[in-house]
Amino acid sequence: MKGYRYLVYPAIVFILAVLLFPFFVTISTALKPLEEVYAAPPHWIPRNVQLENFSVIWTKYPLWAYFRNSFIVAFGTTAINMAMCIPAAYAVARLRFRIKGFMMYLFLVVQMFSPIIVVIALFRTIAQLGLLDNLWSLIFTNGVFTLAFATWLLAGYFRSIPREIEEAALIDGCSRLQTISRVVIPIAMPGLVTTVIYTFITAWNEFMFALTFITSMDKRPLTLGLYNFVGRWTVQWHYLMASAILAMIPVIILFLLIEKQLVQGLAGGAVKG
Amino acid sequence: MRTPPFVKKEMMIRKGKFWKTESTFAYLLLLPATVFLIVFMFYPIFSVILMSFFQVNRLGQLMAFDPLGNYRFLAGRPDFWQIIIRTCVWTALSVSVKTAIGLIIALLLNIKFTGRKLARTLVIIPWASSVPISAMMWQWTYNADFGLLNHTLRVLGISDPPIWLAFPRTAFLANIWVDIWCGIPFMALVFLAGLQAIPQELYEAAEVDGATSWLKFRYVTMPLLSGIMIVATLLSTLWTFNSFNIIWILTMGGPAGTTDILVTHIYRYSFLYQRWGPAAAMAVITFMMLLTVSIAYARRYFREGAA
Repeated sequence: MKGYRYLVYPAIVFILAVLLFPFFVTISTALKPLEEVYAAPPHWIPRNVQLENFSVIWTKYPLWAYFRNSFIVAFGTTAINMAMCIPAAYAVARLRFRIKGFMMYLFLVVQMFSPIIVVIALFRTIAQLGLLDNLWSLIFTNGVFTLAFATWLLAGYFRSIPREIEEAALIDGCSRLQTISRVVIPIAMPGLVTTVIYTFITAWNEFMFALTFITSMDKRPLTLGLYNFVGRWTVQWHYLMASAILAMIPVIILFLLIEKQLVQGLAGGAVKG
Repeated sequence: MRTPPFVKKEMMIRKGKFWKTESTFAYLLLLPATVFLIVFMFYPIFSVILMSFFQVNRLGQLMAFDPLGNYRFLAGRPDFWQIIIRTCVWTALSVSVKTAIGLIIALLLNIKFTGRKLARTLVIIPWASSVPISAMMWQWTYNADFGLLNHTLRVLGISDPPIWLAFPRTAFLANIWVDIWCGIPFMALVFLAGLQAIPQELYEAAEVDGATSWLKFRYVTMPLLSGIMIVATLLSTLWTFNSFNIIWILTMGGPAGTTDILVTHIYRYSFLYQRWGPAAAMAVITFMMLLTVSIAYARRYFREGAA
């Protein structure tokens, strides 16, 4: 391989140029004034950098509401999801019961189901519960669709904690529940953080449920809010791109924190090789 | 750390006492998750299946029992078969290109060079940005008059680049490319993890035997990577098959339905046309296809995990 080593740099630069091109377009557009957005031929680099785009969007669009709604949905989803998946993951990882193999299998298969196959029926369920055009509809549905993977991921962490530690706590007179809250959860904290961030990001990025269940302007989360700029026939692309950057930043930071664990969780046993 | 024998005995007693309640406790812990899955996943799946066997009115109410009506309606429509074929082409093309490019990137990133960490982080970023927003970014990049893609192509000497989203063939390819673009980082990362798990000694041994780079790749890297490759490809197949957001945002299935795949077609039939019956039947077909692949995946997963 030594002889080829000098070829690595041009190859990597080419790949990165292709992969990062739309981000470059986005940043460049977000910094352009209106005349330059619609200049033909377009400029790669804006000639008159306009940082004001980032402040104008806050007054031009209900961006505060979009951000607030996305936060509510993402936090709500995470809370609901954790309340369900911590106990479930513990049971699957540690306890013996008859249908355990089936439950693990079920979680893995459920992880693959597409929201699209249930959205038709879910629409009616949500309507019956009186939750149409209500952020709760997104919290519940996102919660269910992140549940399986979150449980799977967390069970892996719980399993990696030596049994002896728990047994020692039991001998010292802790109840099972106390053992979970005082011993297992603190030790599994890194795994818990990964699961929380994963759920949060998924809920933050969700689009189809929002498109289906939310109609009012002031209840739209970011993805739907930004999509609706595009839907109008006069898209102000520099504003849209500036908003997209703001919507992406928190997610990219969180994602980079957990990316390694996420890959391991997804590719699972095979990675151990 | 070994548990001293006396503790072990103590534990066994405790376990013995606990045994009667251990499974009850487990079921209690599983209860909330199960209730949620039933209400928001299994019950809806059940009612979609039910709906597919009925004539359904525009409001989504079940009218007359007609077990094969919706399915017969779909089978009789030529565009339905086109959509099935298109969905398969979409999935096969996207997954194979993702896998190939992901593998190349992983092989490159597995070579030690200065700046590798930075390159790795930059490669991940498309995965970290959300799919809906990526689709919007690409929509603007593809813009025929003011988008930078065609401008760049012109500068590179392609004098007449296509109006990407306006024509069936290029719109379909443009959609696939965005799906590929979103999926490359995952593939690259998984393969990189797989490559790094291959023991270095195997390469050294091959070198001693006088193997060339190609032979080392063919007889050491590929066989050891194949397990993880199958898992990643299966997973990616499921995601690609279900990829709704990209097409819906970029072209909404247009122009003239030529970029519709199963999932976007289901959505259009239900929420735009209010034809719930055929939509439910399509959802059931999709569900069956997904279930088959999912079970194959789960089987594989458990086998790998046990090994």
